[in-house]
Amino acid sequence: MRVEVEFFGIPRARAGVATTTAEGSCLGEVLSDLAARYPDLAKTCIDGQQLRPGYTANLGGQKFITDPQTPITKSTPLLLLSLDAGG
Amino acid sequence: MLGYHGKYLRVDLTTQQATQVALDEQTLRAFVGGSGLGVRLLLDEGTAEVDPLSPAAVIAFVFSPLVGSPLTTSAKFAVVSKSPLTNRINDSLASSRFAISGKMTGHDAILLVGRANEPSIVVIDGQDLCIQPAHELWGLTNSETQERLRKQLGEDFQIATIGPAGQRQVHYATISHDGRHAGRGGSGAVLGSKNIKAIAVRGCQRSEWAEPEALFKLAKELSNKSFGPATAKYRELGTASNLLVFNRLNVLPTRNFQQGSFAGAATIAPEQLSVNRERMRASCAACTIGCEHIYSIGEGRDGKTDKVRLEYENLFALGPLCGIDDPQTVLAASKLCDEQGLDTISAGGTIAFAMECAERRILDAPWLRFGEGAALLRGLTEIASGKGLGPQLALGSRRLALKLGQDTIHFAPQVKGLEIPGYDPRGLQTMALGFAVGLRGADHNRSGAYEVDFSDAVDRRQVEPEAAGLAVETEDKAAIMDSLILCKFLRGVFVDYYAEAAEMLRLVTGWDTTATELRATAQRIVTAKKEFNIRAGWTPAEDTLPQRMLHTTLPEDTRAQLSPERLQALIQAYNLARGWSADGYPPGLAGMGGSGS
Repeated sequence: MRVEVEFFGIPRARAGVATTTAEGSCLGEVLSDLAARYPDLAKTCIDGQQLRPGYTANLGGQKFITDPQTPITKSTPLLLLSLDAGG
Repeated sequence: MLGYHGKYLRVDLTTQQATQVALDEQTLRAFVGGSGLGVRLLLDEGTAEVDPLSPAAVIAFVFSPLVGSPLTTSAKFAVVSKSPLTNRINDSLASSRFAISGKMTGHDAILLVGRANEPSIVVIDGQDLCIQPAHELWGLTNSETQERLRKQLGEDFQIATIGPAGQRQVHYATISHDGRHAGRGGSGAVLGSKNIKAIAVRGCQRSEWAEPEALFKLAKELSNKSFGPATAKYRELGTASNLLVFNRLNVLPTRNFQQGSFAGAATIAPEQLSVNRERMRASCAACTIGCEHIYSIGEGRDGKTDKVRLEYENLFALGPLCGIDDPQTVLAASKLCDEQGLDTISAGGTIAFAMECAERRILDAPWLRFGEGAALLRGLTEIASGKGLGPQLALGSRRLALKLGQDTIHFAPQVKGLEIPGYDPRGLQTMALGFAVGLRGADHNRSGAYEVDFSDAVDRRQVEPEAAGLAVETEDKAAIMDSLILCKFLRGVFVDYYAEAAEMLRLVTGWDTTATELRATAQRIVTAKKEFNIRAGWTPAEDTLPQRMLHTTLPEDTRAQLSPERLQALIQAYNLARGWSADGYPPGLAGMGGSGS
């Protein structure tokens, strides 16, 4: 299943694009697919089927997820974020 | 005493006398330094009940055991006083060499009390104090004052200043040093009320460390970690990269919190600013992260390129909050705030509130409209100059609302008088709790509860009381970081935060500090701040949010709804999690309230 992926912050800088599509039915599979296609993104943000500390994923701007087994649906874009706070 | 000098300098500006006051080890171990030690000193001075702009008020510049050590990000100082904006405790932190030189004067803190009889500067050269008239500096901007004094006193002095806003006692005026600011709560107004334009410090007394070799080893390890992925976001993009994320999540406060997303966000986001203009990176003193992102604005009055640091908070407050999508205006407004000495969050929040009042014809200022860059710049200029609408805007949104009446207080964007930072509470409800109970008002630095919202631990738009303990945890961690003092941008590199912080403290002081002890210290510091507020007149009713946040939803996200009843349940759970009474009194402190308000 192909899902829409939106990048923000460092994930966007590493991927070099704001959006893409990726293959997978759960978070871990989507991250694996992205890691294979975007080596710089993988180096900084992805460790196997999980995100590295400091990065997070969100479904459709609504729900934050971390479990690699979390199902991903075609109709809901996956957001990859680095969240800065303060300043 | 290792890590400390064991004394502070108390300067009476009225009599121009200074005394050195001993600090015992028990007090230092119980409150550490920075914010913690500062609130302890203010309680001991008995100033919770006084008018924060009166001669009796105290303002404390407080250092910490880690200042001057090789640990990255430790060159920080806290400015602690009663806030003229909130009439509650205020502790603002800044990072610069002022911390290192201030501590090298041989003191763990410098307290100012009284009022100079004319515009003056305070010069502390080691153990020597000199209070000099400074009429020629009155009216100068922060950078002009610092440049003038560096020439006059010498490059080896570190100089903290107030701008024209502080002189006029704008209730959210800042104290600045080398482009860094003790920003929130109006410490600049407190200094201005004392007729003090600047404090210059120089010294050569270093405090000893218990285990220097191990400390250097730990410092190297920490620096290496600070170059890793956990801080890449700060180094490469800076906090301003929050903007597009918050916009996507519909929690970007827009047009005085009437919306949670901004159509013009992409045009002022750092991703776009970097394409169109020169950007530099810089670091605070003794910092390996380098989160500062400095953008060129154009040619300044001296013919050189004007530059300004851009953070998420000034970007949101001077951009979307006021409906401004012109990058040049946002950068110019940030620069204006820096030079005049204005807290960008409170300045933007107050002007955004005034814009809404003007559009509703409650405030007679037809020029003040959302989206009008010229109106924003005019508003800021009038605040700093005291002209036009300035004296009203200088009061902050709460006092302005109380003057205007007509229920405008319901949409004044503040808690306890402190303007809300760039996190919409309706869509980030653990943060909403953090704002409501915040001891210095709506505050994203003393509570990091947004971290809970940006996790899978809660549904951020329907947070339940079980989250209160997580909010307490972020507040306690901040209390220790602000007392050690270390930059919060390091927090992602720690695996076992309290244990690692205890080890740093042990290597510097020689104390057998444990993680358990530091957890208790955090609670003690938070409770001390609460005691200050209770003495200053705090009541449970002020732990709340503006009515707008409790009775309207965001147009982009109607599920993001926080009812008064649920907020009350969250607050009660928070108080009980702290071991306080359900309405927020720590044991033994009920009925202690002073007459302040």
